Amino acid sequence: MKALFFALLMVLFTIAAYRVSVMIYGKHRRVYTTPVIVSTILVILFLLVFQIPYETYMTGGKWIDELLGPAVVALAYPLYQYRDILKRMLVPVVTGTMVGAVVGISSGLLLSKWAGFSDLIIHSLVPKSVTTPVAMSISESTGGVMPLTAVFVMIAGIGGMLIHPLVMRYSGLTHRIGRGVGMGSASHAIGTAASMERDTLEGSISTIAMVLSAVIVSVLAPGLTLLLL
Amino acid sequence: MYKTAIMIIQIVGLYLIYLAGRGIQNLFDLFIPGSVIGLVLLFILLSLKIVPERFLKEGISFMIRHLPFFFVPATVGVISYAYVFKGKGLLLIVIGLLSTALVMAISGLVTQWMVRRREEA
Repeated sequence: MKALFFALLMVLFTIAAYRVSVMIYGKHRRVYTTPVIVSTILVILFLLVFQIPYETYMTGGKWIDELLGPAVVALAYPLYQYRDILKRMLVPVVTGTMVGAVVGISSGLLLSKWAGFSDLIIHSLVPKSVTTPVAMSISESTGGVMPLTAVFVMIAGIGGMLIHPLVMRYSGLTHRIGRGVGMGSASHAIGTAASMERDTLEGSISTIAMVLSAVIVSVLAPGLTLLLL
Repeated sequence: MYKTAIMIIQIVGLYLIYLAGRGIQNLFDLFIPGSVIGLVLLFILLSLKIVPERFLKEGISFMIRHLPFFFVPATVGVISYAYVFKGKGLLLIVIGLLSTALVMAISGLVTQWMVRRREEA
């Protein structure tokens, strides 16, 4: 009974931290005030102050974790909403996203392999370009560590958002559809948010690329990893 | 109250689709996560109009709007792995950024090239 109460308390605290983070983001819209970052920091501080080990926190946290599955399933809806653009641009968008998936998996894998990192770290890094819940499921099924994957996903997302003006300028990426595919394939939801602020067509394409990329990477990652590692 | 109840039922619906995805994953011993199989399943159900949009709309909007919330517990887990990014581990951040830039440029340019060729044709 006491354990159940404690687990519930952890869930309530996570909800509180999330609500505070959304409020902060509403007032100060910056890359580093993204709700995931702020709520994660708040929860970590709380655990450190009250000296609660992560495993104990997860007695409640796992209930929230369990809802990641249906959250990923929900992403079918934007894909369905934009099915008309998708139909018209199917070949270029799917091809670009597929090439992006292969580039993302192989460059991440080979660079970290050459740098001499352990398989555990490499498996956690490989799915970094796709949205967190999917990346974590991929990482889990290929032998990576979910929290570590979450950090790499943040590096791809926030990093991509910070460097995209530079990348686009030097590579000559100017077309709205191309930009959308680049942002969605490389920086998932964070990239999509940045695209959406610039242009709704770019943003919609980015949403499509993000969801497609999640599907493509989860199909390709296990095989490519076996091949290259 | 009524709206909340509808939303919860819809989220349960999404959860059932997710479970179906996991079932398929286990049945065929697939590497593709059950959640992604569930995503494809829902896309097919919506496209074939087997499940009308309005049956799940509120639940879906809720889950997507609060997507970041659902991965907070997992990201908090980084406290157990902070040591990975010490010293040589900093290189991982560079690798992550480099790989991200490559994905963005190459996937974007391939698409741009194909779209422009169609526009000219």
